[in-house]
Amino acid sequence: MSLQAIRDVRADCQTALAGQDSELAPLMGDTILVTGGTGFVGTWLAETLACLNDDFGFKLKVALLSRSVDRFKVVYPHLGNRPDFRLIRADVRNIYDLPSETNWLVHAASTPDSRFHSTNPVETMTVIADGTVAVIRGLDRCSNFKKFLQISSGLVNGAQPLNLERMPEVFAGSSAFGTVSSAYVEAKRFAETYCAAARSQQRLPIVTARPFAFIGPYQSLETPWAINNFIRDALLGNDIRVLGDGQTVRSYMYGSDMAVWLLKILTSGTPGASYNVGNPEGITLERVARLISERFIPNPGVRLHTSESNANQRSILVPDVTLAMKTLRVSITTPLEPAIDKTIRWNRACSGLPKTAE
Amino acid sequence: MEIQVAAVPGKPSFDKLRVAILGSGNIGTDLLIKVLRSEYLQCGAFVGRNLSSPGMAKAMSLGVTVSSESISYIEKHPGCCELVFDATSASDHRQHAPILERMGKIAIDLTPAQVGRMCVPSVNMRDCLEASNVNMITCGGQASLPIAHALQLSQAEIDYIEVVSSIASRSAGPATRRNLDEYIHTTEKGIKAFSGSHRAKAILNLNPAQPCINMQTTILAKVENPNIPGLQEALKKVLEMVQAYVPGYQVIVGPLIENGRIVTMVRVSGLGDYLPSYAGNLDIINCAAIATAEEFARNLRRPVQSV
Amino acid sequence: MRSILISDPSLRDGNHAVQHSLTVKQVAAYCDAVDAAGVPIVEVGHGNGIGASSLQLGESSATDGDLLKTAREHLPHSKLGVHMIPGFATIEKDLKPAIEAGVDVVRVAAHCTEADITERHIGYAREKGRTVYGVLMMSHMASKEMLAEEAQKMESYGAEGFIFMDSSGHYLPEDVTERVKTLRSALSVPVGFHAHNNLGMAIANSVAAADAGAEMLDGTARGFGAGAGNAQLEVLIAVLERLGYKTGIDLYKVLDAADLAEKELMKVVPTISSVSVVSGLSGVFSGFLKPVVRAAQQFKVDPRDIFFELGRRKIVAGQEDIIIEVASDLSKKLTGAR
Repeated sequence: MSLQAIRDVRADCQTALAGQDSELAPLMGDTILVTGGTGFVGTWLAETLACLNDDFGFKLKVALLSRSVDRFKVVYPHLGNRPDFRLIRADVRNIYDLPSETNWLVHAASTPDSRFHSTNPVETMTVIADGTVAVIRGLDRCSNFKKFLQISSGLVNGAQPLNLERMPEVFAGSSAFGTVSSAYVEAKRFAETYCAAARSQQRLPIVTARPFAFIGPYQSLETPWAINNFIRDALLGNDIRVLGDGQTVRSYMYGSDMAVWLLKILTSGTPGASYNVGNPEGITLERVARLISERFIPNPGVRLHTSESNANQRSILVPDVTLAMKTLRVSITTPLEPAIDKTIRWNRACSGLPKTAE
Repeated sequence: MEIQVAAVPGKPSFDKLRVAILGSGNIGTDLLIKVLRSEYLQCGAFVGRNLSSPGMAKAMSLGVTVSSESISYIEKHPGCCELVFDATSASDHRQHAPILERMGKIAIDLTPAQVGRMCVPSVNMRDCLEASNVNMITCGGQASLPIAHALQLSQAEIDYIEVVSSIASRSAGPATRRNLDEYIHTTEKGIKAFSGSHRAKAILNLNPAQPCINMQTTILAKVENPNIPGLQEALKKVLEMVQAYVPGYQVIVGPLIENGRIVTMVRVSGLGDYLPSYAGNLDIINCAAIATAEEFARNLRRPVQSV
Repeated sequence: MRSILISDPSLRDGNHAVQHSLTVKQVAAYCDAVDAAGVPIVEVGHGNGIGASSLQLGESSATDGDLLKTAREHLPHSKLGVHMIPGFATIEKDLKPAIEAGVDVVRVAAHCTEADITERHIGYAREKGRTVYGVLMMSHMASKEMLAEEAQKMESYGAEGFIFMDSSGHYLPEDVTERVKTLRSALSVPVGFHAHNNLGMAIANSVAAADAGAEMLDGTARGFGAGAGNAQLEVLIAVLERLGYKTGIDLYKVLDAADLAEKELMKVVPTISSVSVVSGLSGVFSGFLKPVVRAAQQFKVDPRDIFFELGRRKIVAGQEDIIIEVASDLSKKLTGAR
């Protein structure tokens, strides 16, 4: 990663943290452990926590737990080699002991990559289910533990109806189960319910975040999300190909905002509550493609694959984030267009380097 | 199923007393760590029911012989130990007790089964050496009975003693919650036995505050003409003895007279071996069990036959 | 016209106000009066329920057995109720004798996050054919969702109704409304509410509970109860009548009972003292009032400082011993500062 790219990310963190640092003060001097610490969520949390230490004097001790810490050290030495960071190589499923000084824990281990879910539904489920059980059990021996943030998924409520503009936290939908394609969501639903059980029986303060869709540095353009593929197409000088008629609706939150929202949920969220995390402004994929196209000279073409059956393929996934915005006083500091600019810039700066640690 | 793991090198296994730990939950695992640190004890077997439990994993990682066959492992391998810590449940211990008795094994019972002789190491450890089954009473008992005993030593006559313990809600598992009544009855029985008080009452509060509170126990006594200097004197000696096996045991208030009663308040922070340090309630009973086993070891000190 | 089931714990909660000194004579006199007024349930015992007489919580002048026996004799129509908290009282020592003494209604109580200690006690009372209600105390210390989860545990153990207590007198009416609504949708058994008056909201909060669908309310004569007292029974009956709720209680006779209570039961009628306001604001158990004032005098510290420190430490009902620790710490700090 180039020095400029590192500086850009730091500036993003500073913007997202502006005015929030005093409310994150409960973290000061504490030890925070992040499972899935080298993934997209983990890396953005690491950047934000590093910023809190360097620019706001938080004196946090940070532990990142992941299977791929060695690679992380090589690819992101500015994070991996920090003296206030500790990297723990472990598979969450096999955790018996967590560092006993842990005060806060963000459980972010599990990949949202749908290609992996298709190929390896068994591991998808065991990482989420066994991992959550093992991490919660590992907390038994943390004497001064304060709160656990479970990273769930915006998909747990099932498919969002096309006539529902935004998906709230409480929604009496349901998702399919008993199929391979339901493996990821069902495991996430199990994990949320397990957290509720552990909170009630073992009196663990657990709060849940339900992330929707994100954009930004540390997200591989290879991951099968429309916006990344559009940027990749454009960077490679190809036309932007939109699957379907372009009327599918999504929303994207920038990584630095996501990290600050998660930290606010960790420190100020009510145990037992679930908070949607994402951008509440929905946008059609056609519009996303055009926004990206406008940023390249010459403009790449935007190709829609419209056919009669496409109307049935439309979907919508946009969170209602009223709860988080009202009760936790969080906001979107980087809206979609600057987020796209920053993502293109970062990927250009990092071309030739591996895009993510995983 | 039995898994044999190579013994940890460099540990003399001769004059240490071989013990087995029954129950691979958090209590049993914490005991294991204390046994491995002891100069007088060595762990011959760590047995439970579930080889994939975290306690088992910890034991295997420490090179200890583990088995999921529970009491039958000890029956099949009588040479594995001379003393057994039972950290299962009261109903299980009632089944284990006659088996261990028949096999001639000393039993140190950490459940509220009330089968054996009640033991508070700082008070009556020597008397317990002749018993084959020793009961560690309750956590509130281990925390309060040394003080109750100091009251007996220093006061002419004690009409009434009351013991109020507050523990972190997180440290009270489902068994404790289901058996609050037994906790109260057993602790009250202990108070009477160890203080000579005519009447006794035990109260247990669960406090859900996060981060967790340390265990705190208040001993309230109604005494005719209270002798506070005498109590302070007696307490000093008792405290020294308790702190020898529970380092985190301290008097935080008193003894003082408030509203016509003698008030002494102790706080117990745990060693944090395998249990979290706020769970002083669990640590104190484990520390007391280890102290008792070590006393047996010193008493029985002789080479252990090879298995 | 909707009915509200009224419980009168004057002879239980009121005991907090007189350091648990109610006598069998007082109990007999008040029972005669409220039985005549048609009060459906009369709760009797130590302020913290049966089996709670102790140095920690205050010793009762009369034994549970004598109080219950007397009350039973003087309640030919009303049901006799007891409050019990596992951890203080046990089945063998306290609940069994109470049931043998003729108790009809058993209210098994726990701190708002600890419902799972009540399983056996609820089960026992059910098995003995008594009416059993689950009670969660200090309910402001749990979110409404958590309160509902804990209440559901009690329902699963066999509780036939669920009562949440504002033990600190901390709620405002809208807090009560949202809790009752959440509880109503989570439970299939009736919901009840027990108020304290530290912030002057006991009646308003009780009305909010009824309007949100609560079917059971507690009230005590002249508000005779811990701290600033409870919802004043005779006022509650009058207000419910005006609002069109049915209680089956004779207004004149309950007014008479309250007059008798003022004369016979209490040394002073409960008021919202300055210290009680702080107790309500800091969210500390109302029953701590007397021991806090006592400790403040002994250690020469401001009782309000003790309350705020207890609130900060999230001390629960039953941890009266911590009052002494806090008072002694505050006094050390004062001395150190001088």
